[in-house]
Amino acid sequence: MIRLKWMKKWSYLILLAATGVVYLCGGGRQIYENYLAEIGEWVSGMERGTNPSESGDHMVEERGKDGGPEETGLHDADGDPEETGEQTAEDPFQAPDTGGEETAPEGEEAGEDNGFGDGTAPVYQTVEDDYFADAVFIGDSRTVGMYEYGELEEISTFYASTGLTIYKLFDAEIVETPGQRGKITVEEALTQNQFRKIYLMVGINEMGTGTVESFIAKYQEVVDHLLELQPEAIVYVQGILKVTAERSAQGDYITNEGIEERNEQLAGLADNVRVFYLDANPLICDETGGMAPSYTFDGVHLKAKYIQIWKDYLKSHAVDL
Amino acid sequence: MEFNSIGFLLCFLPAFFVLYGLVPKRYRNVTILLGSLFFYAMGNLWNLPILMASVLANFWLGGRLVQGSGRKGSGRKIQKNKFLLLAGIAGNVGLLAFFKVARGGAYLPLGISFYTFQMLSYLIDVYREEEKSENSFLRFAVYVCMFPRLLSGPIVRYGEVRENLRKRKFHAENLQQGLKVFTVGLAAKVLLADRIGLLWRQVQVTGFESISVPLAWMAAVAYSLKIYFDFYGYSLMAVGLGRMLGFELPENFREPYMARTVRDFYRRWHITLGRWFCRYVYIPMGGSRRGEWRTAVNLLAVWLLTALWHGFSANFLIWGMLIWVLIVAERQGKALGMDGLFRKKGFRILPHLYLITVIPVTWMCFAITDVSQLQIYLGRMFGVLEGVRVSAGDWLKALETYWYLFGIGFLACTSAVKRLFFRWKDSVGGMLVLAVLFWLCIRRMTLEGQNPFLYFSF
Repeated sequence: MIRLKWMKKWSYLILLAATGVVYLCGGGRQIYENYLAEIGEWVSGMERGTNPSESGDHMVEERGKDGGPEETGLHDADGDPEETGEQTAEDPFQAPDTGGEETAPEGEEAGEDNGFGDGTAPVYQTVEDDYFADAVFIGDSRTVGMYEYGELEEISTFYASTGLTIYKLFDAEIVETPGQRGKITVEEALTQNQFRKIYLMVGINEMGTGTVESFIAKYQEVVDHLLELQPEAIVYVQGILKVTAERSAQGDYITNEGIEERNEQLAGLADNVRVFYLDANPLICDETGGMAPSYTFDGVHLKAKYIQIWKDYLKSHAVDL
Repeated sequence: MEFNSIGFLLCFLPAFFVLYGLVPKRYRNVTILLGSLFFYAMGNLWNLPILMASVLANFWLGGRLVQGSGRKGSGRKIQKNKFLLLAGIAGNVGLLAFFKVARGGAYLPLGISFYTFQMLSYLIDVYREEEKSENSFLRFAVYVCMFPRLLSGPIVRYGEVRENLRKRKFHAENLQQGLKVFTVGLAAKVLLADRIGLLWRQVQVTGFESISVPLAWMAAVAYSLKIYFDFYGYSLMAVGLGRMLGFELPENFREPYMARTVRDFYRRWHITLGRWFCRYVYIPMGGSRRGEWRTAVNLLAVWLLTALWHGFSANFLIWGMLIWVLIVAERQGKALGMDGLFRKKGFRILPHLYLITVIPVTWMCFAITDVSQLQIYLGRMFGVLEGVRVSAGDWLKALETYWYLFGIGFLACTSAVKRLFFRWKDSVGGMLVLAVLFWLCIRRMTLEGQNPFLYFSF
């Protein structure tokens, strides 16, 4: 009886603690595991490095190597799109135009033998919007912006989702299929539909993960697999759009230096036969070396009316097929 | 440190209350003060000296104000008191104004708007002899610095907490009832305000030129809900924490969106600030007792100062003046007997419609600090400005994503949630719901903490 009284008196705290235990033993384990992991890394970093800043850098790399992309909070969080509160994450995909006629190549003589040869500078042409009719845009929220405000939604196909990374590109269930509930993965969509042009724009979300090398290696793998899945297509690897100088200086892993480093390596993936590298940065950046502040609110995404600059750049850098 | 952070909820809060419960009664005030200073320093260490200097100066000043001089006292004493008070007001307001202006408020110390006003009310009350000056520095410092309301109020007069500073009850009942109120506030902030605020952010990222008219209104309503649940949630957390310590703090909001006039709205919104201006500016100027013109002038003074208190920038001025115009117009309407009309059946809904149309417009003036951007936004809202690359169905998409948050938000603007809370808070089921809400908040915060970009992830 006495014990019951005691429990009644403290009932809310007891319930709070009980639900807390349930939560922490269940899905919330990461809270303290992350803290413990951080402390562990910090301790081991202290043991190894004498210079604190050095050991700090070391840590970031270590985490990338050891944990790999699957272990990061970013992935965890994004793997759960219903919970993220990201409205854009769910809707901005368009069902592919059932392929077929659309993708039927018109200039068949192009393909492998387009006359550029390996290492030759590509000859770009300026094209109209209909060039994108047999194109698919794959990317993160920046590509979502292109989908929503690039006036291509009726013309092209978009497999784009906020938070998309190179690591989960094929496995992301983001493509809606007409007349079906649920979404299929990009891999499945690319198996079912054929395109002639693939525009890739990912890389900013993965900046906190892994190293430049591991990123590029994965990117190369993705491009190879794309070429395999889409034998008729060429791939435009787009340089990661920079952020504003202010955003770059904010103090997290997103910096323009990091983007430049990755872009340099991305440029190297182009063979100018089936893989081309495009970089719209010179057009959206100003003398600060980052995205022009007037073009953006958050320092990362172009405002709707400036998406046109990027689109115009793509239109004036088209490979004739 | 913010209330809605893992550090506060899972480290500071439990540690502090264990300590608070363990120390002997007479050390409880010291514990609160030290805990509060630690709490403040965790937010910004460099603001701490400013806070402490301000508290010391005002305590000293309050002690120098000669008691018992009254209106019958000697001329010299009255002169001296007047001088001290004016010096105190000038010093406090000057410091606040300096930080508001310097670099556009970039260096504004945490909570300075609130603690300055609180100490001003103390000085004026002591000067008016409505209050005795406090002779214990510790109690005065706790009055100003206690962490539940140090950063964002509620602004309380000394008289309201004088008793509590000397003796208050710390026991299981207070602790848990306070914690329940705190939980509701936390949920309002984390699960409602922050979520629906995403729509507002999305519109900013898109750029105001490129949103459709319906989306402009939706985002304005979303912002109205966000700012309410943000601040209301914070205030509830403050009141709850106060209760946990044994204090009784005043409520800051009383279902403002259920008001029928802007005038009424601001009697229900941030109540402790409104009554501060009423008590120390409006009434001393004559209030509404000196005719309609003088009342309008007095209201103008109040709203100018309210605007400046929020920040020294043009948009706040526009916001304040807009509200002033609306309040003065409402007074005229009332004088013309419009009230009677709106009480008739079938017309009752009109004042509510008026309020929920007009308030989001005023909030946009409040939210958008760049006046040229504000023009664009209002231009889009009223369809007078041509859109650039507007995505036609943007508002439908937003509705698809946010409908339930709007629904919960609207519901929570009525007295429904409050009534549910009081009906069920002591039942096991009700407490279980609250406990689950608490951990849901923790879950959201960890997700966002691990990835600061989740909100705005790219």
